Amino acid sequence: MKDRLAAAVKQSRAGYTEIRVERTWSSAVAFRGRRLETATVSEDQGGFVRVLNEGYGWGIASFTSLDELPAMVARANELSRAVRLDDPIRLAESAPHSGDAILELDGDVRGVALAEKKKLLDRYNTAMLAVSDVIVDTQSSYRDEVSEVWYVNSEGTSLYQLRPEVVVSGTAIGRRNGNIEKGLESIGLRKGWDSVQNFENQFRVVAQRAVDLLDAPRVRGGAYPVILDNELAGVFIHEAFGHLSEADFVYENPQAREMMTLGRRFGKQVLNVGDNGAAAGLRGTLPYDDEGTPTQDTPLIKEGILVGRLHSRETAAKLGERPTGNARAISFRHPPIVRMTNTYIAPGKEGVGFNDLISDIKLGVYACGAFGGQTMLENFSFTAGWGHMIRDGKVAELVKDVVLAGNLFQTLDRIDHIAGDFTWNQMGGGCGKGGQFPLPVTEGAPHVRIEEALIGGDV
Amino acid sequence: MIDRLLDAARGKVDGADALWRREEQTAVSFESGRLKAAGITEEAGLNLRVVAHGRMGVAGTTAAKPDPKELVARAGASAELGEVVELAFPNPSPQSLTPIPTFFDRTANASLSELIRMGRLLVERLARPDCQVNVAVQREVADTAVGNTAGARGEYRTTGIAVTADITRIAGDDVLMVYDQYVGADMPSDTDLEALVRSVDTRLSAALKIVTPPDGALPVVFTPAGLAAVVLPLEQALSGKTVLQGSSPLAGKVGEALFDARLSIIDDPLTPGRPLSRPVDDECVPSRCNGLVERGVVGQFVYDLETAARAKTQSTGNGRRGVFGKPQIRYTNVLFRGDGVRAGVGAQHAAPLQPDGLGGGLIANIDDGLIVDDLIGVGQGNVISGAFSHPVGLAYRVQRGEITGRVKDAAVAGNAYDLLKKIGGFGSDGRWLGARWSPSLLLEGVSVARR
Repeated sequence: MKDRLAAAVKQSRAGYTEIRVERTWSSAVAFRGRRLETATVSEDQGGFVRVLNEGYGWGIASFTSLDELPAMVARANELSRAVRLDDPIRLAESAPHSGDAILELDGDVRGVALAEKKKLLDRYNTAMLAVSDVIVDTQSSYRDEVSEVWYVNSEGTSLYQLRPEVVVSGTAIGRRNGNIEKGLESIGLRKGWDSVQNFENQFRVVAQRAVDLLDAPRVRGGAYPVILDNELAGVFIHEAFGHLSEADFVYENPQAREMMTLGRRFGKQVLNVGDNGAAAGLRGTLPYDDEGTPTQDTPLIKEGILVGRLHSRETAAKLGERPTGNARAISFRHPPIVRMTNTYIAPGKEGVGFNDLISDIKLGVYACGAFGGQTMLENFSFTAGWGHMIRDGKVAELVKDVVLAGNLFQTLDRIDHIAGDFTWNQMGGGCGKGGQFPLPVTEGAPHVRIEEALIGGDV
Repeated sequence: MIDRLLDAARGKVDGADALWRREEQTAVSFESGRLKAAGITEEAGLNLRVVAHGRMGVAGTTAAKPDPKELVARAGASAELGEVVELAFPNPSPQSLTPIPTFFDRTANASLSELIRMGRLLVERLARPDCQVNVAVQREVADTAVGNTAGARGEYRTTGIAVTADITRIAGDDVLMVYDQYVGADMPSDTDLEALVRSVDTRLSAALKIVTPPDGALPVVFTPAGLAAVVLPLEQALSGKTVLQGSSPLAGKVGEALFDARLSIIDDPLTPGRPLSRPVDDECVPSRCNGLVERGVVGQFVYDLETAARAKTQSTGNGRRGVFGKPQIRYTNVLFRGDGVRAGVGAQHAAPLQPDGLGGGLIANIDDGLIVDDLIGVGQGNVISGAFSHPVGLAYRVQRGEITGRVKDAAVAGNAYDLLKKIGGFGSDGRWLGARWSPSLLLEGVSVARR
């Protein structure tokens, strides 16, 4: 395949040409309540061509019919030449790489019968349903894939990557009269079959939480001291800061560049943030990004100061910085854009624990788990799965509908205490940007305290 | 292709249906006012569903030359694990399908330079000091064929065009984002594009001044864009699937008056000129208009073939399938109607029309409240319960009947079911936003929290 792509690149008349071909084998099982929804095996395949000419813009073609490859290279070249540019697009230097990067499969999912996968998910689904009669509905899904990705560009890079993925997730829905609540468990790994066994207990726990939430009051709206658990703190840093560190937001925008000047203080001394696409064994991990650049650990905030950002080759060239291996595409249907990989808040001092964060809070909220988050850059939301009030330094009653309203400049700066209990939270789902969803990412964080944050609700 | 596939299935399974779809997209994108990229996407896929020994299975492929035998075998293997379903594949329709315009030559034939011209026009008209303008123009042409072993067939072509514009204005540490779109099956006229410019302009100008948010239980005007958080719970609850699973708060409530008596909501796949309109759904069920809420009364839940069979009712023609999964319930064009509100027809009203400015004429009697145009994180809470709580993305304060400025760092919360019991007013600004047509709605007693 590499030779076929190299030949097509060689025939391209464009200044720069890259071709990505993917073949993805996947299987999926889903239950809704006690019923099986689907159990399927699929193969998806297609190609992506992107070219650039001096003085012209990007020409892009994606297609499912690989026989069309040479025609698509020519078509992409025509499209590029239809886009005249005064200020040419440059690509930052990225040394050519060639080779095979095979990620560990940890039990090749292609060798496991679909019936076995159904049985596994059935166990987790049944574990949720068995918790209580008020669990009226569940949505459980198992999905795995092994994706083969070939990438060749006209600068000599030639790569073959094998990327596995497996996601098991379940939502338990509890209902009593008109009251409906849910609990969500989701495990997403860049691994295989062996890594998703024996999670019954986690699924039981979320179903029990859906039951418990039926009796919980809604949180009262207002500003509170808030402690985020590891999972929500991870979602928080992804939404609050991660997206702003993606250089495609600033590279063409002078005002944004000023706002995000390296060296600016964003947080207190305790805050250290980074993005590490090279971390071993995580869902956002890749040896190379979708422009053939090796991934790396990129510090973004060091002791509260902005020190770095995430780049593609184009954004790096524009800002005179180095590519960081963050150009990613969710599939051959899309161009690579600047994305996060495994984003983290680094742990605070070893030995600092949850109790050190909570002991001096008179009235506050302990926000736990994550239903999701979304950013509009300065303002963002992150939705907890559940919460507890904090009263006189102790975890008190369960509350529901805990949605935090964040502001980049206020909320980050109000992080005043970070525990040492760091964990990576490898969930399914993923990140959405520019119509590309879901991109596999991971977030990692310890418990984090925000002096004051706004929570929506009745006031 | 459909016929060959169904022939290969015949005799091997009890019954089957299939969908073939081919899509071509052409897109141009302007980044910070500059044309940066042009691209095409070509994709074809085939999806097969079978019922074998009473059990259902599915398989799909994007292979260039699909092997019918392989696909039937794979769907058969899926069915071995599948549930028992008494699926009734529809017979050929006795009448011919309702002819509706879904394909516009102008859209299909628009050249790359025409798409670039439209984008450039918007970029030029939206240029403002200190503002970054991104514009994307995307045109799609799709061919769809559906068929089943009972002999039903459907074939149609569709066009779609989406023109989106977003403006980001950064002043110091204040980030303001305003977004709008034209989506239709027919090309926008220059007047449509001007309306889009006016819509962005109106909302941007009113947002330049920042004011303190109010707090408490207040009257809030949800614009068509801001309405999503209120609509989403209803769309989930009116799905026949949710009803079957026992998790819909509307289950068993058909015929009950739960909403304001002026509110009607329909799902209409026969609306001319909309990209999701089609004469037949993805399971060979002829399209029809369904009344979801009729004058405040819960009307019809929507079903696909499988959920209809389980609920012992008829499919409402809401089956939608992708290349790889099984058909699922999907809404088509959802239209809100109220007293004195006429839904926009056809490609008209595809672009925003705001004769009475922001809020559609609903703010005159508001002493203190909000206009909510965008909320952050919609869809991420416990949606089905009706409860929502979101920070505002774009919202304006209304004082003594006037917009006084934009509010930041505020969050609105409420319950869609409670709020829709009594609607304070329907705006005169009805418009399409994606696949939904609605005016602004004034809702009373929405919780607004601020820092």
